[in-house]
Parts: sequence; structure tokens; C-alpha cells
Amino acid sequence: MKDVDVLDDFDIEDYIRQDQMPHFLCPGCGHGIALRALMWAIHDLAIPKDKLAVVSGIGCSGRLSGYVDASTFHTTHGRPLAFATGLALARPDLHVIVISGDGDCLAIGGNHMIHSCRRNLNMTCMMLNNEIYGMTGGQVSPTTSSDRFTTTTPAGNTEPVFDACALAAAAGASFVGREVTLQILALRELLRDAIANDGFSFVEVISDCTEIYGRKNDLGASPEMMMSQKSSMRPFAYRNTVDVPFRPTGLKTGVLAKTDRPEYGKAYRAMTEKLRGKKGRG
Amino acid sequence: MSQRINLQGNHACALGAIRAGCRFFAGYPITPSSEVAESMARELPKVGGTFIQMEDEIASMAAVIGASMGGMKSMTATSGPGFSLKQENLGYACGAEIPCVIVNVMRGGPSTGMPTRPSQGDIMQARWGTHGDHPIIVLAPASAAEAFSETSRAVELSEQLRVPVVVLLDEAIGHLVETVDLDAIPETPEVWRKWAEGPKQDYEPYAVTDDMVPPMSRPGDGYRTHTTGLTHAPNGFPTQNPAIAEAALTRTTTKLDLHRERYESWRVRQCDDADLLIVAIGISARAAQAAVDDLRADGVKAGLFRPVTLWPFPEEALREVVASSGAKTVLVPEMNQGQLVLEVERVLKGSAGTVGLGRIDGEAITPDQIAGKAREILG
Amino acid sequence: MTNPVQVPTNVLIVGVGGQGVIMVSKVLATLCQNHGYAVKQSEVHGMAKRGGAVFSHVRFGPQVWSPTIPEGEADVLVALEWAEGLRWLSFLKPDTGTFIADCQRIVPPFACRNRGRGAEASYAPQTPEEIIQQVHAGYAMDATTMATNLGNLRAANTVLLGALSTALDFAVDDWLATIPQFVPPASIDINLAAFAAGREWALAGEKRVDANAEGPHVSYTEIRHAQVDTVVEIVEERCKGCDICVKLCPERCLRLNDSLVAELVLPDLCTGCHMCEWLCPDFAISVTNTPVPEPA
Repeated sequence: MKDVDVLDDFDIEDYIRQDQMPHFLCPGCGHGIALRALMWAIHDLAIPKDKLAVVSGIGCSGRLSGYVDASTFHTTHGRPLAFATGLALARPDLHVIVISGDGDCLAIGGNHMIHSCRRNLNMTCMMLNNEIYGMTGGQVSPTTSSDRFTTTTPAGNTEPVFDACALAAAAGASFVGREVTLQILALRELLRDAIANDGFSFVEVISDCTEIYGRKNDLGASPEMMMSQKSSMRPFAYRNTVDVPFRPTGLKTGVLAKTDRPEYGKAYRAMTEKLRGKKGRG
Repeated sequence: MSQRINLQGNHACALGAIRAGCRFFAGYPITPSSEVAESMARELPKVGGTFIQMEDEIASMAAVIGASMGGMKSMTATSGPGFSLKQENLGYACGAEIPCVIVNVMRGGPSTGMPTRPSQGDIMQARWGTHGDHPIIVLAPASAAEAFSETSRAVELSEQLRVPVVVLLDEAIGHLVETVDLDAIPETPEVWRKWAEGPKQDYEPYAVTDDMVPPMSRPGDGYRTHTTGLTHAPNGFPTQNPAIAEAALTRTTTKLDLHRERYESWRVRQCDDADLLIVAIGISARAAQAAVDDLRADGVKAGLFRPVTLWPFPEEALREVVASSGAKTVLVPEMNQGQLVLEVERVLKGSAGTVGLGRIDGEAITPDQIAGKAREILG
Repeated sequence: MTNPVQVPTNVLIVGVGGQGVIMVSKVLATLCQNHGYAVKQSEVHGMAKRGGAVFSHVRFGPQVWSPTIPEGEADVLVALEWAEGLRWLSFLKPDTGTFIADCQRIVPPFACRNRGRGAEASYAPQTPEEIIQQVHAGYAMDATTMATNLGNLRAANTVLLGALSTALDFAVDDWLATIPQFVPPASIDINLAAFAAGREWALAGEKRVDANAEGPHVSYTEIRHAQVDTVVEIVEERCKGCDICVKLCPERCLRLNDSLVAELVLPDLCTGCHMCEWLCPDFAISVTNTPVPEPA
């Protein structure tokens, strides 16, 4: 019997492919929590599973699509947004969710990310930021904090980092937000608003890679990492500007940008219909 | 009444695809293929289709696959450098068996090469460009009319066999304006991949079927399947089980062997009594035809074998033509340093002497050049 | 009462945020000042919000050095809330102190020491009769109901002020002149009436307990979850022993067992809050709360 007294009737088991469980993620990987929040948001919005398409790239984040009981597409490294663009244009009836990682989305897929933001096609990109390439063994990523050790920064990272949300907002995403996994209820709400937004939504989830990144940098186990992630963030409710770029910690959480811009698919179809109307009259 | 109009090869490609029901095009500007995209941008909205110019070549290939996974016939067009970039996602389409069409208008290479000059340097890339063993069909039209009909056929074949199909033009054919009969081929919007049917629990997206082409599901049909570029089991999920992996990879290659009749296409001209057989594609085949006429006028028994389906190569057909004509020499003129000749050598296995003739200076190969080479061989 | 000319008189006013502790102490301090005394008023605004504990020390006399009242030295203890009064009772002078308290209860959030669903809040068990017997002079009055009957329950503090006036040597008119400076103009009349009612009630005897002392507080809303049965299921095959549920459980009622699988070892502490379920990255935990039917 389901709970009758708490919040709602969400059951993760209704949304995952139980025959694929347990999933392949390491113990304590925050990606699983993010996946729960995402499915919860889908449940909140009463999106039927048959109208849900989940597209992911390569890496630890990329494998998540395989656990969702929906039409799922595990595509190539960095390209899920491009695949999703084709899918969303071909099928405006679908709810398209892209799951990507910091390397997938900001490094190899950076171009697709900024152009997806610019185009504002209706889809939601959940970027899981764990500051590392986990699946390949722990190499530096565009979001690895300063001085952190990775297998390719044996003396500590000297590269500056991307502020993914500032980038997304600057590139024109109509909804931008960030949350940590520990705040799962806030994350669920953020994702719900992101999916409901008619346009391109970008949500950065601060996730933890305990086994590789945490271990190599002595950041403690998952609970400690999650707590420190939370305490290093600055909750920041609805506001339209992002004014603290390039800071490894002290990033803002919450909704960071929300603008009312024309959704690309609708704009394109309106143009098509206008053309066809003209053709009919002429 | 037939609609005969003058069309550029590139424009003919676009119209041919639309005739077969292609309704999605994603591209990126690149010489000498940009006219395909321009034509699609103009024509697709008229038929309710979608055109998008993506941020790069990689993205346009991805978007085409994405649209096809959503249940649309889709196509992209490019040239050498872009074709290199598309190889990554082309491999995905091969592995996940997603129907799609890629037009590659060849230009001089390597790298940026000679953007506005003709070449046939991508013959091997079209077959082996993406990593790993993979099935792929490559069609090589030799006229604007054939660009029209072959692109239409490319859409149909990609649907029927769930395999990416490359339409390999050279710059000369792409920019050649010729009369095309738009009613020469039927409209085939009804040719689709097989769609999944029956109860969800019985459906396996990569099941081994008699024809080795599994029915495909799409979002919204209730099957909620998983599609991945990882080697997958019949249920669509990744596997590293050696037996399952081998069976899965074997099926995708066997499926093309099973359907040779459906996609193989070649043209023979004056081959019955040929002593010298010329094997060529595209603009080189047109030059070779003139050379055959020239040689015949001199009393040399020359013939032309032109693969229209370039890959998988029509090997039985070529062997048969060589055997029945008794040709002792095979000349392979092409606009590269010798790619097609390698395949011809492999197919004939020494049953006839094989000689290559390459041209790589950015100019189209000429009849004189081919006839001259033939005379040189024959002494 | 001690002669204020020689040593300071100490009045301690306690209650919870929002009741008007500060208003009472301001009235008293102003009154003292107007009579030429040195006054020290030091206060703590509790948790700076409604519902938090608040106290205010008022000391007056010819010379006052220390701002706070030492334990056992308060001449009068005014408690706007019963349990707060009990908490400060040890500050009252054992032999001569006067205890003036509203006997209505406001149960603070931290009285819910047991976070289990259906748990009763703990509250001071002593009855007003017991307490009033222990002190030199005492008034357990239902000031809230008295103020409510006058038209505004928020004037309960002024009712107590009326009782306080009987314990100090200031003229009634002085009190009545001071109160209007600290209440909104619209409620001056009601506050003066409340003062009169409180004073009248206290003048009736040195020890009095209101007959309705056990009556429920009108503004007190019972916060009590329905009793539930909580079942925490942990799927062993999915648990990877990451420790998240163990360390982030607010009640710390989970442990990793010898095979590094999470286990509910202290089920009695579990409140069914779902935190372990929500934060389990492996979807290994499910928490089900089933309501227990209320006895008919």
C-alpha cells in the first residue's frame, strides 16, 4: 500500500526499468538521487511515460537513460542535445529530456549546449556536474575546481572552470537553474519548473563522485560531500541575472534565469504554415 | 504528362528525397553540397517538413538520426570535411540501425583540399569511414536524373533495411545541370521501415527475424525501448556477453548479404564482347563511356561496367561480366590515387589484369586520358 | 516587599514571543523612571520570532549596578505563559517573592522531544494549585480568557500587569497614565479595562487559582500527526553500502551491517520522514507510512 499521508503518491518503481536494476553507478554516486528527482518531477507534471523521451550522451550520466521506463536514447559523446534537437523538431508531441554530464555537455558538447540555449527549442537539459570524468577513470573536466587532483592534473588543477549556468543564461536559455542533490525536494521543484517551461531549460545538478573524485581529493564519503556541497552553495531564489561567474564554490542555487522568448519549434511551424497558406492562395 | 525540368544534381538530390517522403533535413553549409540544403530549406516547409541548419556537421548528423528515431524520414548533405565529422554519428546510425540518408558531394582532399574542384577521393571513406565493422550502403549516381532517382531509392533502402545510405556524388555531378524527368520514378511516401506490432512484452527491438531487419519502435507507440550505441542484446540493452555480442554484430552485416537483390544496381554497356573492361563511377564513368565509343571506333572492343550501388560492391555481377565477355584487362579510371581499383582487384582475384588510372589535380578525368591509357595497356 | 530606597527591586517578566513581555517591562521601567529610580531593563528576545522564549529583567532602586537578577532574588515573577513561569521559578525569592502567571499553555515546538508520529508533546505536569502552594504569594490566573472576554486576547499581558500593580508601591493612576504610551491608540480602552480586571482579581487574596486554570488556550492549535505505522523496506540486492542513509537520517536509526548493507536497527526512533528513501541513490529503500485507525 502506498503512503496516504505524505506529499503524494510518487513511487520511483513506476518510472524505472526494474529489470535493469541495480544500476551500474558506484556506491554513493549522486546521479541516482538526481534521477529520482527527475522522475518525481515527471510524475508531478503527470507526463505519461509514452510521451517521455530521454536522450543522454556518454559517461556515467549517459547511462542513466537506460534505467528510465520511457523511450530512451543513449547517444554519442557530447551529442545528446543535437540528437534531441532532431527528435524534438520531428515530434513536438513528446517531452524531451536530455541527461548530460559536465564533460559531455561543457567540453565535447559545448557547442551543442550553447546553440541549444540560443535556439530555445522546447526541451530540458539536466546536466549532472560532478567535476570529473568518472567513467574514464577520473580526468579533469571543465568544472573541476582549482587545485583539485585528477589523473590528468597530478599536481592539482590549474585551469579555470566554467560556470555552466552563467553560460546557459548568456547563451539565451529561457530557464536556468542549479541545485544540489541533498536538496532533493528543491531539485524536484526546479526540474518540474524547468520541464514545464516552454523553451530550452538548463538545470545543473551538483552531484558527487565519491569513489574517484572524492577519494582522490580527500573530500570524505558521499554524506560528507553532499553536506559540503550544500553548505558551499548560496540559495538564490527567482532572479533574472547571474552575476558571479567563474567561481568554483559559492555558486548560487535555485532559479537563476527565466526569460520569455519564443519557442523555436512553434516559431518554425508558424513560418511553415504561413508559407503553405500563401502557396494555397497563390 | 511528364514534368521535365533542368535541374542541378544537388537540387535533384533534394527533390528525389522529398519524393520518397523525406520530411526532415539538418545540414551545415559546405561547398560543394550547400545547394542540397538550400533546396531543402525552400522545399520542405511546402510539404510540412522541417529544415534546420545546425551548429556544425556533427550536430546535423545527430539531428537527422534523432528525427529518424522519432519516426521521420530524414537526410543530411555534406562534403569531405563534413563527411569526416559525420562519421562519428554515422557509426551510431549503423550500430543502432537507424534509417537515414547522407549525401556526400565529393571534393578534393585531404583536409580542406580543393573545395570547388571535383574528386572521387571518398570512395573508401564512404565504406570504412566510421570505426568498427558496420553495414552501410553507398549509391553513386552519374547524372542529375540519377541523383534524383538514386536519392529517392536511398530513402527507400534506408527505411526497408534500417541502414544508413550514403549518396556519393562528385562535385561535377552535383553541379551539373541536366534535364530531369520528375515523374520518371513513382512517389513512395508509403515506403517505411517495419514498425513494431503486438504486445509490448513480446517485442524485442533487435530480435533476429527471418529477414534480419527487426521492426522498429518509436516514442509514443507504447513500447518504450532503449536505443544505444553500445553493443546491445536483442532487447536493446548493452551487453558484453561474447556470444550475444557476436550474434548481434553478425546479424547487422548478414542482413545486407540477405538483401543484395534489393539494393544492388549496376549498368553495363558494350560488355558482351569486350576485351577491355572499364569499371568507373560518377563523372569518371561518363568520361569512360566516351572513351569506350572512341576505342570502339578504333576497333578496340571496350566495354563499361558502372556500379550504381557502389557499396556493397556488386561483385558477382562484375565477375560474371568478366567471365562472359572474356575480358583480359580491366581498367579502373577514378579521380583519386587508386581506391576503386583495390576493390576490383579483390573481386576479380587475378582472373583479369587490373590497371588503375588516377587523376588528382582537381580537374575532371577526360575521355582522351582514359582511351589513351587503354591504348597504352593494349600496346 | 523590600524597600526600594535601599536595595533594588527585581521584577522578572517571562513568556513566549508575541505575548507582550517587552511591553510589560517597558511600562514598568517607564513608571520607575518617572518616580526617579535608577532602572535597568535587560531582555532576550528569545528566538526572535513568535513562539520563542522571551524574558525581561527589570531592576529599579536608588542605584542599580548589575542589569540581571541573580537566581533567588526576584521580588516578582510575571509569567505570560505557564511553563515559562515554572522554568524561571527558581529565580523567585523563596520567602517573600510573588508569582503571577497566566495558567494558559502554549506548547513550544521543542516540547515535542519525541519526533515519532503520534507522539504527545511533553509539558510541565505540575498543576497551578501545587505551584501556588509552594510560593509566598501567587496568582495563577486565566488572563487570556479574561482578556478575550474583554474583547481582545492580546491584552492578556495587561491583565497580568494589573495583578503586578498590586505587588508594587505605585499609585494606580500612575499605572493608568503610563500604559497608553505603549499600546496602539485603538486598544487603549481595552487595555485599561484589562488592567483594572487583573488588579481587581489579584486584590481578592494573596493566593488565588483561577477556577478554569486547566482550560485550553484559545490560541493554541494542537499540532499532532496522526499515528502511523512506518515500514522501512531495504532491498538488499540494490544497496551498495554508500552510507548516505545512515549518516543523513535525522534520527540516526540506520546502520550498515556486517555485509555493508543498510539496516534499520532502531525502528522505534524512525519517524517515517522518508529522507533515507529520497536520498538513496540506488532506489533500495522504500518508506511506507500507514495510518493507524483512531480508536472509536
